[in-house]
Formats: sequence, C-alpha cells, structure tokens
Amino acid sequence: MHSNNYTLGFVFIVTIILGSMLSFTKDSIKDLQEENLKADVQKTILRSLNFDENLLLSNELIEQTFKSYIDAKCVNIEGEVVECAIEEIDIEKNVDVLPVYIRKDNNEIKGIALPVAGKGLWSTIFGYIALNPDTESVLGIQFYKHGETPGLGGEVEKKWFTDNFINHPLKDPSGSVTYVPKKIRDASGKIVSIKVVKGGVDYSDTNMESIHQVDGISGATVTADGVTDFLLEDLLRYEKTLDKIRDYGTI
Amino acid sequence: MELFNSESKKIISDPINVNNPISLQVLGICSALAVTIRLDQAIIMTLAVIFVLCSSNVILSLIRNYIPNRVRIVIMLSVIASLVSVVDELLKAYLYDMSKQLSVFVGLIITNCIIMGRAEAFALKNGPSKAFLDGIGNGFGYGLIIIIVSFFRELFGAGTITLPDGGAGYVLWRIPESWYAAGYENVGLLVLSPGAFIILGLVIWVQREMAGVEEDA
Repeated sequence: MHSNNYTLGFVFIVTIILGSMLSFTKDSIKDLQEENLKADVQKTILRSLNFDENLLLSNELIEQTFKSYIDAKCVNIEGEVVECAIEEIDIEKNVDVLPVYIRKDNNEIKGIALPVAGKGLWSTIFGYIALNPDTESVLGIQFYKHGETPGLGGEVEKKWFTDNFINHPLKDPSGSVTYVPKKIRDASGKIVSIKVVKGGVDYSDTNMESIHQVDGISGATVTADGVTDFLLEDLLRYEKTLDKIRDYGTI
Repeated sequence: MELFNSESKKIISDPINVNNPISLQVLGICSALAVTIRLDQAIIMTLAVIFVLCSSNVILSLIRNYIPNRVRIVIMLSVIASLVSVVDELLKAYLYDMSKQLSVFVGLIITNCIIMGRAEAFALKNGPSKAFLDGIGNGFGYGLIIIIVSFFRELFGAGTITLPDGGAGYVLWRIPESWYAAGYENVGLLVLSPGAFIILGLVIWVQREMAGVEEDA
C-alpha cells in the first residue's frame, strides 16, 4: 500500500502532465479549428440561400463564393442600415444590431438570409433562414450548431426536416401535386412565421394554416416548440427590414 | 521478447476472432449501434478507437508499477479522457465534417467499456509492447464488427457505400436508379437503431458460430 502523500503526489503529477498535453494540443490547432468554424457558418448561410453544393466543397471555395455573391449588412430594429463588425455579433444575445446576408446575382437580389437562434431542449440551436425576394416564401433553412440529442432533437439539422420548409404540397383540382415553399406572412402580409407541428401537418382542406406549418420530429417536441418560438421572435425583429425589401427592393 | 512469436500473435488474433470485444465479450455496444449508419463514420471511429486504445494501453502499462492501487480507476479514466479529448480536437481541426457527424460519439469513446476493460484486465498486468499488441487486436476486433454492421446498414438502408475523404464522404457506389425504377426499395428500418440491433445480432450469431463458442446453459 502506498502512502497518502505518494498517492496525492502521483495524482498531482499525472494531472499536470495530462493537462499540459491537452492545452498544448488545443493551442497548436486552435487557428485551424476557428477557420473551420467560420467556413461552417458561411456554408450554412450559402446552403440556406440555395447555392449549388459544388460551390461549397472546400473552405477556400466557400470563402470565395461568399465574397463574390453575398452582401453582408447590419440593420437595426427599425430597418435602417447600421455600421457593425458583422462577424463578431452574438446572434443569441444582441437584439439591437441585426445581421442580414443578401444573395446578389448581377446586382439583383436573389435571397435574404437571416440568423435565427434560440433554446431547444438542451442547448441553443443556431441556424439561418433564407427568404425569397418577395420576403414571404422560404428559400431555405439550415441549422449548424446545437447540442440536441442525436436522432431526436438533433434531426433539426437533417435534410428531411429542413426540406419541409420548402416543400408544401399544393393540390390542384385535377389532382396533381406541385410543391411550393412555406410562407412566413399571412394573406394580409403580417409575419406569422412557421410553426413546427407535433405529429405532422394536417393537409386537409379545412386546415387553412398548413402553408405556415411543417412536420415535427417524433420524440423531440420541446426542440420543435423551441424552433417555433425563436423563428417567430427572430423574424419579427426583421419585420421593418423585410417590409422595406418587399416594398422598395433594397435596404 | 520476439515481437511476433506465437504468444504475441495470439494477443492480436484472439480479440479479432475467438475473444472479440463486441461479439464475444459484448463490450462497446453503445457506439457500435450509434456510429454504424454509414461506413465512413465507422472507419473513422475505428481509427479513433484504435489510437485511444493503443495509447492508453501503452501509457498505463508503462506506469503500471507506480500507480497507487487505490486511485487506479481515476488515473485510468484521466489518461483515457485526455486521449479522447485530443482525438476530438484533432478531428475538429482536420476532419471538421466528420467530427460534426460523429458529434458526441467521439467524446463517448471515454465510456467505451473496451478501453477501460482492456486497461484494467490487460495493460495493468503486462508490459508495454504486449499492451500495445492487445490494443491493436482489440481495436481491430471492434473495428471489424462495426465496419461489417455499417456496411450492411448503409448498403441496404441508404443504398450507398461511402468512404471517408476528409469532407462529407466519398460515395464509392450507389444503387443505380434503374433498380429503384424496377421496384427495389431501401430498408428504412436499418437506418434506425432497431436495424442496428438486428444486424449486430446476426453478426454476433455468425461470429460465434465461426469461432465455435458455446455458451454455458
């Protein structure tokens, strides 16, 4: 049996060695990790704006695509453009300066991506929702960071879930189905956002709201409710900005 | 000690075959179910486990005579946890997409009973070179099973075979559209966890038959 002093000393030394090994590793690859994180955020924005996957194959390509197509600006709650360091904005906490990412092809607005973030069950979920220039129909939605349970709440980042937002089945009288994007504004133009519905959307004719609803995730009601809440809250912050783009085609 | 005498060969080959950590010892089942949806994830996971297992075995074997018996579990855990954190950080730096897909399961290597089990049962009782071979053997034994399981799950569940390529994975082969047109369908069940249980059960059965293991009644 070793003495208490020996045991304490041994544990102390092991802790020091392992601790320094970890911090050395972390320190030497921190820059690479930060680059990856930045590229991942840019990739999420580009994906929500429906860019071709071939333009998103490597970090360099992503940065290049982002630079040449995306007009990044900040607005305030009144819809006025303000100065900001857009990369440093804390999306979850900052409610006064709001980032907007506009996709422009040949100076024509093709889409508007807005950051959305809020609490799910275990964690804050971060993502981007992109709207068409009509500021009403969804162009795409992507989530890039969350700590939800894989297989349950974690499904929010999966294609089947995000595709819900751009595939609303419209039946015409002849019975054939066409798919249109979901809408965040109701008929009067008011922002009503999109609700994640437990169990699945009721597509019968009696449900007039189905264009503002998407299928939920089984086993992840709290996550889904979180998404519903923060989508509405975040979209309302951009109300004046979106109105401006709709009415004047620019901000 | 000669490196490849019959004893060392046995240390490596036993865990791959007659004493396989997953199919015979039934350890590490949690990650075997979780990361076997796609082949590329299983391959990266295997490499991560082999690295952690070999390093932890060697490190613990080297200090085995100095570890106070009362705190050996704590020491084992700290060594394993540190190594896993290093792997996790490396993946985030060099294989970012893969690290996102594997998400929590890289961190959960810490709780993979194979690693703790081998440390306690083998590394603390044998020299570093033997402990290293034991790590290789058990790592490959683990990898063999999860690679077989993920191969079938991905092929029949998603209709693809994906190899790791540093990004989102390189699709080696995909079931041609003409098959789907002819009525072939992917088995959605295999993508879900129950599918993993079924495949894993079948693999364990076949492996035990081949290894000639008889369970005591």
